[in-house]
Amino acid sequence: MKLSRERVEPLARRAWPPLVLASLVVVTWALVDSFGGIVYHDIAVKMFIMLMIVLGLQVFSGNSGVLSFGHVAFMAVGAYSSALLTIPTEIKKFTYLTMPHFLKFWVFPAQLNALEGTLAGAGFATVLALLTAAPIVRLTGVAAGIATLAILVIVHEFDYQTSAVTRGTSTQIGVPTTTTLLSVAVWAMIFIGAAFAFQQSRFGLRLRASRENERAARSVGVRVPIERAIAWTISGFIVGVAGAQYAHAFGGTFGPDDFFFNNGLNIVLLTIAMLVVGGMTSVTGAVVGCYFVTVIFEAVRRWEVNGLGGVTPPAGTSNFVLAFVLLVTLVARPGGLTRGREVPWPTDWRLPRRPAFRRTALIERFRGTPPANEPAASAETAPTD
Amino acid sequence: MPGVDRTQALRATIGLAVPTGLLVLLLCVVLGAAKGIQYTLDAISYGSIFALLAMGLALLFGVMGLMNFAYGELIMAGAYTMFFTRSWGWLGMIVVTIVVVTMLSLLMELLAFRPLRRASPVTLLITSFAVSYALQELAWTDVLGLAHRFNATIGTGPQKGVQPYPWLTHQFSIGGVLISKLEIAIWIVTVAILLAMTILLRRTMLGTQLRASTEDFRMAQLVGVRANWVISAAFAITGLIAGVAALLYIFRNGQVAPDIGQGPLFIAFVGGVIGGLGSLSGAALGGFVLGVVINILNASLPFKLHSYALLFAFVAVIGIVVFQPEGLISVRAGAVVSIWRRLRRRKPAAEGAPA
Repeated sequence: MKLSRERVEPLARRAWPPLVLASLVVVTWALVDSFGGIVYHDIAVKMFIMLMIVLGLQVFSGNSGVLSFGHVAFMAVGAYSSALLTIPTEIKKFTYLTMPHFLKFWVFPAQLNALEGTLAGAGFATVLALLTAAPIVRLTGVAAGIATLAILVIVHEFDYQTSAVTRGTSTQIGVPTTTTLLSVAVWAMIFIGAAFAFQQSRFGLRLRASRENERAARSVGVRVPIERAIAWTISGFIVGVAGAQYAHAFGGTFGPDDFFFNNGLNIVLLTIAMLVVGGMTSVTGAVVGCYFVTVIFEAVRRWEVNGLGGVTPPAGTSNFVLAFVLLVTLVARPGGLTRGREVPWPTDWRLPRRPAFRRTALIERFRGTPPANEPAASAETAPTD
Repeated sequence: MPGVDRTQALRATIGLAVPTGLLVLLLCVVLGAAKGIQYTLDAISYGSIFALLAMGLALLFGVMGLMNFAYGELIMAGAYTMFFTRSWGWLGMIVVTIVVVTMLSLLMELLAFRPLRRASPVTLLITSFAVSYALQELAWTDVLGLAHRFNATIGTGPQKGVQPYPWLTHQFSIGGVLISKLEIAIWIVTVAILLAMTILLRRTMLGTQLRASTEDFRMAQLVGVRANWVISAAFAITGLIAGVAALLYIFRNGQVAPDIGQGPLFIAFVGGVIGGLGSLSGAALGGFVLGVVINILNASLPFKLHSYALLFAFVAVIGIVVFQPEGLISVRAGAVVSIWRRLRRRKPAAEGAPA
């Protein structure tokens, strides 16, 4: 079969953004692995875990336009279940004395390896996502923010109080530290691909249509709650993997407050801020936002620790600078750094945006601006409020 | 529509009276009259503060669709102002605190939210988080060098805080019920602010413009309401309310810390949602009821149950958001009132039947 340019280019165009983003991850991994010390190694691991969460958020919030504070709850579930199933049986017998019997008989003998543990953790997170999908998919705007926040508070409160299963505020003992830079980089790359594939799939396309104009999407037969539920569940799995990886990194010590609003690095708000700063509606935005925030924060943090030219800023400056930069970025570019666009094809850099293939044209129509090559028919059929 | 207004006020008052009355009754039965009334009065003064905060949140939410998470930091700023001016006498302290908090609120609008007026609610929300984060970090690191100037230690953990005035917090007994002047002051101030807000919203030009902007911001602009003016006014009013709430809260607690605003904000936020952020009275009522309930749970339940109570409270929050998005006590949905009315209407027919 002869490969003509007409046949290859659309495929290459579609594969281009995830390839670029994945190669960015590979380059980061290679640089840190060969040149970085233990400090940069830990920073990179943390960044890739954050990247997974941001990608999970992008799959749900970015495509549906519904805000979520609750994804870190999936992270907590992934972390706890993965840890419980991978800690050696001998240690579990001493550390979980009060675990109820209906959990004991299958949790205690379980001794999964790293990959199985991660998948099991993500599986439990997916189950939680399925259970919580029903109320969440009916909501939008601030109501959705509140409901997802409530999920986060409920899971945090459960982790905090149910010390028989989670050891409450005490640290975990004997969690195998199996997370490596390579493992998180590979998972991050997988999820870049997955997020992109979802965005391009028919499910993602319907969801994006409902984001741009919910009534118009409904009118052409998009079942908005079902599409949202699919994205919610997928993002639950992604963030669950991030949690499981987190549990086995950094010495295997974690507690309920790691998955909540706490002082210092606030993971709930930071991941949302990364997504919004990068540009919610594109996978590129998620990756760019994550890199942008991490680089700025860690640069100032290094300055704070090491000093530069004899000048050392007071402790805590990095947090303040981060908040300030977030603020300035949001004011200067409310649509995010990427303005919701993907990595452009090399020859498209200077061209105005054009309807590259028909699927984007459909999205454009829902947004209310007709594609350039069609007569300007009014797309705003649904009455605005 | 004055008729609607009166019904709204009536409904809100009934909605306020019914749960409070039930609560007092329950407590008096369980704990005995004196202690029951004691708990209730204490809870009411606690709930009043959250009623004020929730109302401030609801005002901003109504006018510009902003869920302002930096609101807690206004309380924090108020707390620090009180701490720095603690030797200036109580009058000076009160005036300076209210002025500083109001100015900060206006500044917040000018620097952070004015450039983003046309942005999506999500961007606004994240911006308010960033503002909150920045102000908190400012307090932790003390970039302005205030601590040195005022001979205090900031950013080094908990500190002494504002010494309560003995004449204000001293409790005196009325028939076995202990009351302090502060509690009485909290009730008076809350009622005064609620009244002032009602008069402002009903009887003044600014109030009309604010209500119009809450209904439909673009339409209000079309008929000549100046956007900058209305939004600045809303921020000033909420700043004023936050200043007063900070004063009352700190006089009660005495503690000062960079993250002190988070707890009250959280309660006010959830309470506002339960009550319905769409209306000021609904939100205030929601904040009030949640504050009262939390205070009573804290005081009367054993520790373990109290912890899981928060969990169930948030399950209830999800339920409310899904099934009763206007809020439980909101004026339009008026669940409490409608239940009450239904009961009253059925009473003659259902006489003798089990309730």
